[in-house]
Amino acid sequence: MTENSPAAVRELDARYLEPPEPMMRALAALGALRPGEKLRLLLHREPFPLYQTLGERGYTHRTAQLPDGCYEILIWR
Amino acid sequence: MSIASLSLEQAPPISVPFRFFLSAPLFLLLAALALLAAGPDALQSRWTPALLGITHLLTLGCMGMVMSGAMMQLLPVLAGTPVPNPRGVAWAIHLPLLAGSALLGGGLYSGATLPIILAVPLLAFAFAVFLGLSVYSLAVRAQAHNATTRAMLMALVALLFTIVLGLLLAAAITGLLDLPMPQLAALHVGWGLLGWTALLVIGVAYQVVPMFQLTPPYPKAVARWLGGTLFALLLLWSFHPLLPEPASGILALVAACGLAACVAAFSVITLRLQHKRRRKVPDITMEFWRTGLACLLAASVLWLAGQLSGALADSTFYPLALGILFLVGFALSVIQGMLYKIVSFLVWFHLQGKLPVGKTPNMKDIISDRAARRHWRAHLISLPFCLAAALWPWPWVYAAGGALLLGAALLLANLARASNLYRHALANGHGAGHPEK
Repeated sequence: MTENSPAAVRELDARYLEPPEPMMRALAALGALRPGEKLRLLLHREPFPLYQTLGERGYTHRTAQLPDGCYEILIWR
Repeated sequence: MSIASLSLEQAPPISVPFRFFLSAPLFLLLAALALLAAGPDALQSRWTPALLGITHLLTLGCMGMVMSGAMMQLLPVLAGTPVPNPRGVAWAIHLPLLAGSALLGGGLYSGATLPIILAVPLLAFAFAVFLGLSVYSLAVRAQAHNATTRAMLMALVALLFTIVLGLLLAAAITGLLDLPMPQLAALHVGWGLLGWTALLVIGVAYQVVPMFQLTPPYPKAVARWLGGTLFALLLLWSFHPLLPEPASGILALVAACGLAACVAAFSVITLRLQHKRRRKVPDITMEFWRTGLACLLAASVLWLAGQLSGALADSTFYPLALGILFLVGFALSVIQGMLYKIVSFLVWFHLQGKLPVGKTPNMKDIISDRAARRHWRAHLISLPFCLAAALWPWPWVYAAGGALLLGAALLLANLARASNLYRHALANGHGAGHPEK
């Protein structure tokens, strides 16, 4: 994971990993966020199971499809 | 497929699928022991009582258990709502399936009719509940219909045919009805293997191969047409005896060649997709898949050869080798391979919902790759031994039985270890207060 200042957005590239690795990494990265920080998550499929977990844990997310067919999910609390 | 509903609230308790998954290797052990006990006599023809018993321990006891357990897990995901009273439903399927498979296997093996008569209502009940639940979930409640749900519904219709034909055969074998057994048996095997088993694997493959093996998706035309074509060809193949000759013979040949082409196409396409996968990391589930697909391809070539050569089709070796390649080579490989992925995933999934972040073990550590690979090697070795035993029962039947026994023991040990890890992690973590959700 790399720090993406100045917007306090951390980036996690979990593309082309075998399930549930992307979800495991995303949850670990979210656990490590400092207050006010956001997570920019890159995935090769839309993470429907993750949305449910995010909702249960009080996170908000915004999903956008990238030109190469992958997904960018911005997550914050 | 939308899997929006994959959450702990939707998923059945882990004990629901696990009771099925842990029963499967026990039947595999039993089948291997039965083969060793019967010895070379078991393989004198495809009709020996011992082989009929062993085959049903494998198909009902081992394969049927995994398929039912996996469907119990999958149905709420496909339907978008949980199965009502999952524990009660699991009892109603698992217990009669367990007892019925053991009784039918034992009855056929020993040639005693009483266990077969006892097995019939148990199996009929288990499958009635299973079919009712599955068809209701997929046809009535499922939110989205796609290639997977369509293939599964056709597979379930094939399962219904297989069971009805099986019940008729049970009535014939116990002397209740006078029926043409070889013709009924051919239909029973055809619908059970090419219908239920192949269609279910094909439907599941559309999802799990791209998702877990990181391959490109199946070509759209394949996903749209393959399952339906296979099903239609099975219908043609089944009803050909109703036509006069020579139309009947021609139709049978066309349908049989078409069926071989369908399963061969599925094998080749899947092997090609796996070859094009994104990350070429070693994966034991994929080794099992590749083994299975290679055997399916070999089975389709052998079946095709049998259509063209009467001498081959009439040999003792031919039906035995077809059964070995399809059941042990294809179905057992694919099923056992997926079992490793499903069991690891379920343990991880249920623990991550109950333990604090960071306490959940890594999914890859739940069943070690080394232990699973050891099992795969034992399974792989059993295949040439089984084929050799089909040609020369003595002494190869003992090598085949020994390798199958070793494979079953390793599978059981690996699954039991995963189950223990789940219990210990819960007991040591914060989830000890509600261990069974």
